[in-house]
Amino acid sequence: MNFHVDASTGKTLGLVELSGRLDAANRSELLKSFALWQQQVDLFIFNCTKLDMIDSSGLGAIVACLRKALERNGDLKLAGLNPKVSMVFELTKANKLFSIFPDTGSAIQSF
Amino acid sequence: MIISEKICNSISVITLQGTLDASTASTLKTFKPALAASSPIVIDFSRVDFLDSSGLGALVGIAREKRSKGGEVTLACLNNKVRKVFEITQAYKLFDIFDDVEAATLHAEKKQGHL
Amino acid sequence: MKTLIIVKEKDYEWLGPVFPGIHPLLLPICNKPFAEFLIDFSVLAGSEAIRFVSDGPLGDVEQYCENGNRWGIAISYGSILENDDLQMIIEKNQRYCVEEKVLIVSGYVFIQYDRQHDYKTLLASLPDGEFLSSNHGSLRLRGARPAVHETIDRVPLSLTGLDSLDVYYRLSMEILSYASSPYVLPGYNNEEYCHIGRNVVISKSSEIRKPVMIGNNVQIFEGSILGPGAVIGSNVIIDRECTVTDSIVLENTYIGEHLEVQNRIAAGNILIDPESGISIVMDDPHLLAGIKKTGSGKKVFQSFVHSIAALFLIALLLIPFLLLSPILILQGKWKRSKNSYYTSGARKPVTLTTTTIERKGILSTLAGAISLDRFTLLFSVFAGKLALIGSLPVVARHAGSMDLNTIESWYHAGVFSYAEAEDWPVNGGDTAIVERYFAVHGNPFLDISMTIKAFFNRIHETKTL
Repeated sequence: MNFHVDASTGKTLGLVELSGRLDAANRSELLKSFALWQQQVDLFIFNCTKLDMIDSSGLGAIVACLRKALERNGDLKLAGLNPKVSMVFELTKANKLFSIFPDTGSAIQSF
Repeated sequence: MIISEKICNSISVITLQGTLDASTASTLKTFKPALAASSPIVIDFSRVDFLDSSGLGALVGIAREKRSKGGEVTLACLNNKVRKVFEITQAYKLFDIFDDVEAATLHAEKKQGHL
Repeated sequence: MKTLIIVKEKDYEWLGPVFPGIHPLLLPICNKPFAEFLIDFSVLAGSEAIRFVSDGPLGDVEQYCENGNRWGIAISYGSILENDDLQMIIEKNQRYCVEEKVLIVSGYVFIQYDRQHDYKTLLASLPDGEFLSSNHGSLRLRGARPAVHETIDRVPLSLTGLDSLDVYYRLSMEILSYASSPYVLPGYNNEEYCHIGRNVVISKSSEIRKPVMIGNNVQIFEGSILGPGAVIGSNVIIDRECTVTDSIVLENTYIGEHLEVQNRIAAGNILIDPESGISIVMDDPHLLAGIKKTGSGKKVFQSFVHSIAALFLIALLLIPFLLLSPILILQGKWKRSKNSYYTSGARKPVTLTTTTIERKGILSTLAGAISLDRFTLLFSVFAGKLALIGSLPVVARHAGSMDLNTIESWYHAGVFSYAEAEDWPVNGGDTAIVERYFAVHGNPFLDISMTIKAFFNRIHETKTL
């Protein structure tokens, strides 16, 4: 998990790079980190290009992140889902909750 | 088990009769005409009513030995019970299996002719 | 007339990794195994007998079709080799093919026909040779009479090579969407576009939108929507508030609640996009899961008997082990190495410490002869890691579980191996033959006598593994 703040477009965005697997083993790590990141920014982009696999608890964690972002009038957008990960999003209808972009660039533009 | 040999289409056909298991496998292994020469043989299974892993071991051993000498072992007329043993062990991948002795000998002869 | 159906492994090799455990001839197409479509057509074409020949396994097909009594037709099976050509295959089935007209179906192809039409007359009028072909297979006649010049009504008949998931998916959807099917399909069919099997429980609040096809023993929970375009196999559970549209759910699958399955194939815990061929394996029981058949008590009993026998061997070898191993360790002839081994097809590799004894000198020869090198492995039998006797342990190549797909279901590593008991040459693929044999024919008590045989065989063994 990699976090940095991007302000190139004038808006302060938190760019999070997820990698490997997101499941029950590391969901709490994401949730904890997310709480810390929220002290810096309100708008987030999760870059998922390096995310290989996600299961329901990993998905739950991302949805929880979205909720927390919305509570603070922020937002969370996703970018670069590989076909396998996006199959899980479609299966669980989670794709209807998020704005999903093909890559980080277009996600940044959308804010 | 009774083992007999006859010549059909100039190929030696070994007919097995009875049960091919641990107690009879060694009889087959030591049956000279089967192993002696490099010439191909056909083993007729029409009267074999049972085959177990030791019997199969003997067959695979003979086939390997023959092959190393440039010969070939062709099998013919496997009944359902015997065929199932070949099926579950995938030993069928090692042999040409015919449903007719005559056709098997013709094939063996053709193959010998090519050598 | 007779029918000879030739299917070679390479024709369907793409299917193995996609649907592990399903024999390609039994691949369900609209809940009907592929082989049954072939059988139906053969019967329709006037065959009295069918023979399936393949260079791959046919055991599952034989178990399903048996001798063909169910269809009133005689079914037999035969083996061929990978490189056999048609001529050779006919020679190998000489007795079957002789003096009869034979319809030869070759390749992994789906024959599209319509049961309303008369194929008997059509085939009777055709001459010898190939009469229909696609890039993946063909239909031909052998031993037919010379062509009769009658005018035969054109009847629908075509071939579809089953060469990809996409073709499979589209074929299934096409068959599903026929109002009155040209094929006989399983299930009750009171109304058009709808086939429902036995023991199907559909919750009141769920919705069924035609066309759909549902197998046997299916449960559909509240608020679910099936179809349009759903093929649900047998033993399937669709949990609450699911939508399944334009999808195939193969048998023994659980679809978790609130899921949306659209344009997909679900098979156990595998979800596939037929168009791209991408598949994901879920190890998450909340989403998709395979419904497992319960494990047999036979296995438990077997490991119990193995443990008892291992205990006995330990008691027997304990004193020689305590006496000899320190000496051999000092002499440097007792070599230990740690390796990761597969234990069975279902589990992850385990690390085992194996011992090799250099058989030089009296003491080490003695130690080797009484299998002291296997002594420590005997304890793994209690832990259930190893069988007392089974397959030769295969060294795991990768730490991950991906490689497990290549390990076959019969594989179960043992302290001793059946190959040793039967004195088979240990190297080469031949040992797999004897291991497969015992996977089917073995029983716990036979295992004990095989262990004793292996033990005695090893006395004379000169080389260690």
